[in-house]
Amino acid sequence: MSSNGPPGPYDQVPAAQIPKATQTTSAQSADTAGMDRRAALRVGATAAMALGSVGLALALRDRGSEKKTRALPTIKDHRAEKPAGATDMAIARGPDPAANVRKVIEALGGMGRFVRRGERVVIKPNIGWNRTPEQAANTNPDVVGEVVRLVVAAGAGKVWLTDASVNTAEQCFARSGIEKAAKAAGATVIRPDASAFREVNVSGKLLRTGDVLFPFVEADRVINIPIVKQHGLSLASMSLKNWYGVLGGQRVKLHQNIHLSIIDLAAMVKPTLTIMDATRILLANGPTGGSLADVKQMDTIAAGSDEVALDAFGATLLGLNPNDVGFIVEGMKAGLGTPQWQSLKTVELGG
Amino acid sequence: MRIFIFVVLAFIPPAFIGWMIQQGHRAPAQVAVAAGKPRASGAEADKTLLELFQGELGGAKIKDKVGLYDEKGLFDYIDGAAPIFIQRHYRKLAAAEMASADGADMVCDVYDMAEPANAESIFNAEKSATAKPVTDFPDAISGPMSFVFRSGRYYVKLTAFDAKAEAALPGLAKALKGKMK
Repeated sequence: MSSNGPPGPYDQVPAAQIPKATQTTSAQSADTAGMDRRAALRVGATAAMALGSVGLALALRDRGSEKKTRALPTIKDHRAEKPAGATDMAIARGPDPAANVRKVIEALGGMGRFVRRGERVVIKPNIGWNRTPEQAANTNPDVVGEVVRLVVAAGAGKVWLTDASVNTAEQCFARSGIEKAAKAAGATVIRPDASAFREVNVSGKLLRTGDVLFPFVEADRVINIPIVKQHGLSLASMSLKNWYGVLGGQRVKLHQNIHLSIIDLAAMVKPTLTIMDATRILLANGPTGGSLADVKQMDTIAAGSDEVALDAFGATLLGLNPNDVGFIVEGMKAGLGTPQWQSLKTVELGG
Repeated sequence: MRIFIFVVLAFIPPAFIGWMIQQGHRAPAQVAVAAGKPRASGAEADKTLLELFQGELGGAKIKDKVGLYDEKGLFDYIDGAAPIFIQRHYRKLAAAEMASADGADMVCDVYDMAEPANAESIFNAEKSATAKPVTDFPDAISGPMSFVFRSGRYYVKLTAFDAKAEAALPGLAKALKGKMK
C-alpha cells in the first residue's frame, strides 16, 4: 500500500474492496472518482482474465491425461488375506533349490493359502538377461520350475509365466533355462512381443500410465520370483525392482528416478506371494554380470508377502544395510511393508 | 506506476499458463553427466567401431548382426549398469553374439569410451576382486566365463556360456586388440 494518502486502485488491496474505498474518499474530485472506477474495472477484468487463464491452464494440463487414464484398466490388488497366526516370512537353506522352495511354501501354509482352484496365476521371474543360470543374472530355473509345479498342483486354472527381458527375449528365455523348466512344469510362457502388452493406469508419483504384459491385467494372482543381485544404479535388484520387468518401452525413462519408479510399479502390482531366489547371488557388475568371479553360492530361498521385508533380508546377503537402499526406504514410506523383517513372524529352516 | 502494475498483472496469466503447461508435461531430470573431454566424431567413430568386427576374429564368427547402442539405447542393453559408463563419457557400444570355431556361443561387447583415460577408469571400476590378470596380455583380466580388457579408447567385455566358448575367448580378445592398433 502507498505510504502517503489514500490507497490507489492498484495498490495491494483486494479488488472487491476497491470501489468501496474510493467512494469513501471525500477529497477526490468527480473526475478522479470516475477514473478510479474505470481503473477498478480494469483491475477486475484483469483479475478475471488471470483466474480464467489459470483455470484454462489447469484444464489444458490435466484434461488429456485424466480422460486417458479414466479409460485405461487398473491392475487389481492381488494380495491374499493372511490367516490368523500364519507365518509372514520363511527362509530355507540347503543345496537343492527346489527343496528349498517346497520348504518355504510349506512353512507359509502351503500354496493353497495363495492360489485357489481355477484361478489364473501369473508368475514373474527375472528373465532379463542372455545369461546362464551359473552367471546369476536371472532367477534359477529349478526354482521357477518348482513354483510352477506347486501352483499347478494347487489347482490353478491357468498359469502364465512372463517377463519383459532387457536383452533379446528369445535368447534370454532359452539361455536362462527358464522357458524349458516352466513349460515342463505346466506353465504357458508368454514372450514379450509387442502384442503382449496392454496400456494401464499406473497412477504412480512418476509413472501415470504404462504398457504392461497382459497376464498382469488378467490374472487373479501374481507370484514374484526375483533373484538377489547387485545393481549398478539402485545398489540391489530383488523383489521390488523385479517389477521393471512388467513394462514395455524404453527403459531409460525408468532410471531417471529409479527408487520412486520402482515403488510406483510395486504399488501398482501388489503381488500375492514373493519367492526370492538367493541360490546364487551376483555380488558385483550387476545387473548384467557375466563373470563367475562375481557370483556367490548362497543356497537360500526366502518367501512371504512383504516385499520390503524380503528385500531388507536380501540386502543383508549382498552386504548392504537396508537403510542405505533407497527403494527399501521408499517402499516402507509408501506403506508397502517393513524393512524390520526380524519383527515379522519368520521361520528359518535348514543350514 | 499504475501502468506498470497493469502491465505486470497482464503479464501474469500468459506466464502462468506457460508454467502450468510446462509442469504438466515436463520431462524428468536427465541422469547427470560430468563435463568431459570432447568426443570422437560420430560417423567416423561408428565406422571404426564396426570395422573391429570385420575380418579374422580368432576363428569366431558373428551369429546375427552387430548392434550399436548410444546413451539412451544403452539402458535397453545393460539397464542399470548404463550410468557408470555414461558418467565416464561413454560414446557408443557395439555388441554381437558370436560363435567360436567349434560352434560355442559367446557375447562380444566393445565400448568406445571416447578417450583412453575413460576406458581405463571403467576397466578399474568393473574389475572383479577375484579376477586374474592375463599373462602376456596387459590391461586384461579373466574370470570364469569372462575375458575383459582395455586398449586405447576401447573397453571390451567377452562373455562365454560354456567351457568351449571360454577357451575361445583369449583368441577373440587377441584378434580384437590387434585391430585396435
